[in-house]
Amino acid sequence: MPIPTLAEKLQWLKPAPATAHETECAAKVLQGDYEIGVQITNDILDEAMEVFVRSSRSYFGVSGDSMVAIFTANGDLINASCGTYLHAIIQPIIIKFIHKYYTENPGIRDGDIWYTNDALYGGIHNPDQVALMPIFHKGKLLAWSSAALHTTETGAIEPGGMPVSAKSRFEEGLNLPPIKIGENFEIRNDFLEMYSVYGMRAPAMFISDLRARCTTADRVRVRLLELADKRGPDFVVGLLRKMSDTAEAAARRIVRDLPDGKFRTVVFNDAIGMTPALVRSCYLTLTKKDGGIIFDFHGTSPENPSSYNVHPQAVVGHIANFMYEYMFHDLPICSSTFAMLDFVFPEGSIVYPDKMAATSCCVYIGMQARCATQNSFAKMIFSNAALWGQVAASPGSQHTSQICAGLSQWKLAVSDVLSFALNTMGQGGRAASDGMDAYGFAWCAFGRAPDSEQVESELPVTVTLSQHWKDSSGPGLHRGGSGGVQHWMVHKVPHLVSMCMGNGSKVPLGQPLFGGYASSPIPGISIRKADLLQQMSEGNPQLTLDNREVLGQKTIHGDWNFEFVARTPKMYDEGDLLFGFSGGGPGYGDPLERPPEEVLEDLRKQIISDWTAQNIYKLAYEPERRKLDVEKTKQLRDEERRARLARGKSFEEFHKEWNKKKPPEEILQWYGSWPDGKPLGPIVRS
Amino acid sequence: MSSETPNRIRITEYLDLDIDREQWMCNRCNHVLGSARENYKKGCLLHDRDPREVHPALVAATFNFSPDPSWVRIVECYCPRCATQIETEYLPPGHPITHDIEIDIDRLKERLRKGQFIIRGQRLEAVE
Repeated sequence: MPIPTLAEKLQWLKPAPATAHETECAAKVLQGDYEIGVQITNDILDEAMEVFVRSSRSYFGVSGDSMVAIFTANGDLINASCGTYLHAIIQPIIIKFIHKYYTENPGIRDGDIWYTNDALYGGIHNPDQVALMPIFHKGKLLAWSSAALHTTETGAIEPGGMPVSAKSRFEEGLNLPPIKIGENFEIRNDFLEMYSVYGMRAPAMFISDLRARCTTADRVRVRLLELADKRGPDFVVGLLRKMSDTAEAAARRIVRDLPDGKFRTVVFNDAIGMTPALVRSCYLTLTKKDGGIIFDFHGTSPENPSSYNVHPQAVVGHIANFMYEYMFHDLPICSSTFAMLDFVFPEGSIVYPDKMAATSCCVYIGMQARCATQNSFAKMIFSNAALWGQVAASPGSQHTSQICAGLSQWKLAVSDVLSFALNTMGQGGRAASDGMDAYGFAWCAFGRAPDSEQVESELPVTVTLSQHWKDSSGPGLHRGGSGGVQHWMVHKVPHLVSMCMGNGSKVPLGQPLFGGYASSPIPGISIRKADLLQQMSEGNPQLTLDNREVLGQKTIHGDWNFEFVARTPKMYDEGDLLFGFSGGGPGYGDPLERPPEEVLEDLRKQIISDWTAQNIYKLAYEPERRKLDVEKTKQLRDEERRARLARGKSFEEFHKEWNKKKPPEEILQWYGSWPDGKPLGPIVRS
Repeated sequence: MSSETPNRIRITEYLDLDIDREQWMCNRCNHVLGSARENYKKGCLLHDRDPREVHPALVAATFNFSPDPSWVRIVECYCPRCATQIETEYLPPGHPITHDIEIDIDRLKERLRKGQFIIRGQRLEAVE
């Protein structure tokens, strides 16, 4: 079975050298024609992205958690429209695999539709599925197109596509290596039937998303052929080559101008599946030397028998999210921009697990690699005159990924995510400003929170509140952006099955930057037998729909549950309430340097509480009128600085006590050896 | 704030590199934090902070919006002179402090000498 090796995958990430024909064609693309050609590819991709969002059925699709792309004939990525950068860079692995193994049998022909969702063959995790089409012009392969989207169902042992209790890939439902699912521009009926049985929990969503991918990839194909007909195929070949070369030159210039050295970040995760456990989810050493950067993950904890492992190329996908949001934000999404980046993954680690490992919840580990990357880059680029403004703490990434499954109020089978809590995370504090409140999804910079009324009309829930979550952001000179909170009441159906994926209930995720603080952990909260519906129908004038008051005063009565955020499927009854949180961004800089007026503004906007203003920012003010006492604030801050000097210890003194400490043994079962995270024994998967 | 000096480069919000003397310095008060070939944290004051002091519990429950102090601590690094919080790191108790920044001093000096970089406004500008 030709599962690609890590060496093959890493090699396939690199752009192929130009052929003589490509070089010849590129030389003929004149200035002016080139710029117009680039814009045409942008327009093709943006049009296709619009088709994609409008054709998708799942809330990931509606939110735009997707990517449409154009590749060269040999499979190098040239440009894309997002959505999410998660799929950028790594999809060439799939096309190059098809070229290597399937050119003769079953063959690559005009009208083919290829499909895959298996992370062993180059994907992220199996909810992320991609349709690819070769683009033939007059019988000759000219390029490829693709459309990738996360669908919230895979026929796994739990609804929602990301089973938190899966122990091996065999419990994760559909895992398709690259396969030809259509010929002559038609999806094969036998494949559709096979595919649909994996989507029984939500057939309308499952099949609609499949068709959306295919029709989107085909739209790109049709438009690129129009360009080839108009300007000739050699123009398209030359344009794609020139775009690759131009993007590579720009990326190399950015990397070249960074200082050489080593930059390290360590981050931790508090879960493997639904089991609370401490793991060193990423120990990253970035080595910048001359014109290249090596990402070395030695020191990361070993793989574990849960779905919280991540295959290496999916780590690269997560890193692409950071690179294109901050470092390469003005470059096309193109394979060649990663030509100078190399990756070292220790075999048997949580970022390079065995082929039988479950990885459907890989995003919780992959995101930690992105956070470590962002933190390390901050320390590498702050000295750079052109780039320091791109420095930011990593985004908030803890969230309630709540799945609704069962029959909707329309008696339709559903299995989808309540994605508000995904797409309203806070951005990390930035070098020159605060992080943006509810900026988006850490995995998908351009994800949009869905319209609540649309959610209510399609899923059996009523959204009873949507607001910023007070004190969710990490404090700092530049605070992190606020996260969001929604409450979901089961409504119009007698029962609903719900589960939740996630992490970050015990340990804040990511690291803050330059003296800031991280954002708060999140629990999993539900109220069974809640009396909210009753209070609303009785018109209770005391009823509050402020999240903090509901939490603090328990104004909604019922059986409250505070659990770990990752939860296996449970039945909830009509009127039961679920809480959904998106994490705030970590803070940047010393909170004592935050201008007092900005702290007051945070209070006015209800982004922070009085407790935070007084105890973290050391702000003195009159609480009723929120009138600032400048002198007293200065005095309080000076006192805190003196307190720091009194309690701070020298490096040597600190370590006399620190080195005696260790977390409890019971949470270190899957950490590896303490503290260096080396494997302690084999993982047995049945 | 530190004064403009030609041989100082800002490496973080609070950490400057004096490239001539190969020293870490506090950006806010100019205190020398030690050799730039060593971890700058060796020149800081460190404090093991209970995370509940920064992220207090919002509800009375095991999972309560507050980090578990037996799982994670906040290591705060202060400038010994002005007490600026130069860096924070969320680490399990007893976990080694990260040597997060190791600038290749010799290479940087070489690139400055060759004119590939100039220092302007305490930042590195690449020269084409």
